Amino acid sequence: MTDYTLRVENLRKTFGEGEGTTTAVDDLSFAVEPGELVGLLGPNGAGKTTTIKSILGLVLPDAGTIDIGGVDAREHPRRAHAKTAATMEGARNQYWRLTVRENLAYFAAVAGEDVDDVRERHDHLLEAFSLTEHADDQVRTLSRGMKQKASLASVLARDAEVVFLDEPTLGLDVGSAVELRSQLRAVAEERDLTVLLSSHDMDTVEAVCERAVIIEDGEVVVDDTIDSLLAGFGTRGYRVTVRGAEAESLAALDDVDAVEALDGDTLCLDATADSDAFYRLVGRLEEMDARIEGVETREPDLETAFVDATGGA
Amino acid sequence: MSAAGYARLGRAVVRRELTLFVRYPFEAVGAVVTLTALFGLLFFGGSMLAPRAMADSTAGLVVGYFLWVMAMGSYQDTAGDVMAEASWGTLERHYLTPFGFGTVLLAKSLAKLLVHFVYAGIVLAAMLLITGTTLEIDVLTVLPVAALTLASSFGVGFALGGVTVLYKNVTSWLEMVGFVMAGLIAVPAFGGGYLFALPLAQGSALLQRAMRDGVRLWEFDPVALAVLVVTGVGYLSVGYGVFYLCQRRARRLGVLGDY
Repeated sequence: MTDYTLRVENLRKTFGEGEGTTTAVDDLSFAVEPGELVGLLGPNGAGKTTTIKSILGLVLPDAGTIDIGGVDAREHPRRAHAKTAATMEGARNQYWRLTVRENLAYFAAVAGEDVDDVRERHDHLLEAFSLTEHADDQVRTLSRGMKQKASLASVLARDAEVVFLDEPTLGLDVGSAVELRSQLRAVAEERDLTVLLSSHDMDTVEAVCERAVIIEDGEVVVDDTIDSLLAGFGTRGYRVTVRGAEAESLAALDDVDAVEALDGDTLCLDATADSDAFYRLVGRLEEMDARIEGVETREPDLETAFVDATGGA
Repeated sequence: MSAAGYARLGRAVVRRELTLFVRYPFEAVGAVVTLTALFGLLFFGGSMLAPRAMADSTAGLVVGYFLWVMAMGSYQDTAGDVMAEASWGTLERHYLTPFGFGTVLLAKSLAKLLVHFVYAGIVLAAMLLITGTTLEIDVLTVLPVAALTLASSFGVGFALGGVTVLYKNVTSWLEMVGFVMAGLIAVPAFGGGYLFALPLAQGSALLQRAMRDGVRLWEFDPVALAVLVVTGVGYLSVGYGVFYLCQRRARRLGVLGDY
């Protein structure tokens, strides 16, 4: 029998009454194993945040069972909260007029921990998120990226089994997001944390998580490992540079998505195809006396899988 | 959660309040100056308009004003704290604790009241200097009577805190309740009857007698003390009940962390 740290079964949440009722989460079920890093993906309004908030009790669900570390979270929320930590959207979530270290100490104490006992953990967290030299700075004086790291560190300051992160890289520039992802993954692996991470940013989910649960209209449409999702794509993208052909003729070929004119008579076509279809495409180009100058391939990513699962929603 | 856990929670919320108090002294000085200046206006204005009446009621005015400052702190800090935490995005984090949402908010309110007591103590000293009055402060009498008196204003604070969780901004209500509080503290001056069942009224009456006339706790009429206990515990319980229902409705509507 598989051991789960988080199990959600038949979760349902509606807002409003009568004709105006909106179903945010509809009979949703999934489970997360200990130490697993799972991404919760979905288009806007799919029910990601409502799902996380319902699990945590911040939103009262209409139906369903939620088990966190063997505790019925709906029946015993306080016992379940002793095992969880969470951050909701964005960098605020902490006291800007306290220092980074004071925030860590405060939120650990609010979780019932002895600050003196966890000082070593806090030092390590500050180091892991490159915050050591800013530990005694007030959060309001930090950059946006630093604030976000401090927020995440304050969430991880307590000894939780399951960590819920809603859009942890929201609003960060590319460099800060990349750094935060790798730091987050390193800390989660080191402490063997179970993580449920919701994000619009596919790169964040792909970099941090091992598995993705994709939801749409409040229902699970895909629940699979990231590796399996990517391997499931027999097709890949090709960018072919050709000379001596008409743009209209190229655009009419099967599997060609777009044609772009470069300098002179050089054209560039984008195609999505499996290997057989690509060889057929090359054959058709030779029949048209087009000279192939170069071919670049693009590997499928999680975004491709997401678009495929949700129909591009 | 163990008793040690609750002690750690208490230490953490008090440390946070004191840190902010020390880090932002201008705010503390501003509060003391404003409250003292307002009392000065009342006292000197009253002395000019009705010197004899003011001379007879100076001690009562000082005690009543001190109680009003503390009561304002106890209810305004509770409701205002919920508003502030919602705007900072930290309110939901206080729900996710093994202590429970209400317990953490109560601990935070008590910590704020402790800091507020520092302001109020300085203001009291200033009032005594301005008026040249002396008061009887028997700790064994004043402390329990003041605690039970403020319990009822805490109840009002919790109820307003609950409404704040649902509707987020209730600033105008907070201001209005401040005036009502002043009226409730003045109830003993106008006689009373059933009005003593209102928040603060009975406590105000007993505190006046304790601090002005030197009456000790065991010298009070047991019925008067019973009314104080019932109103203090009753309003706190009702306020907490309102808070519980409001936060539950806020979670049902999915607006707990909204601002």
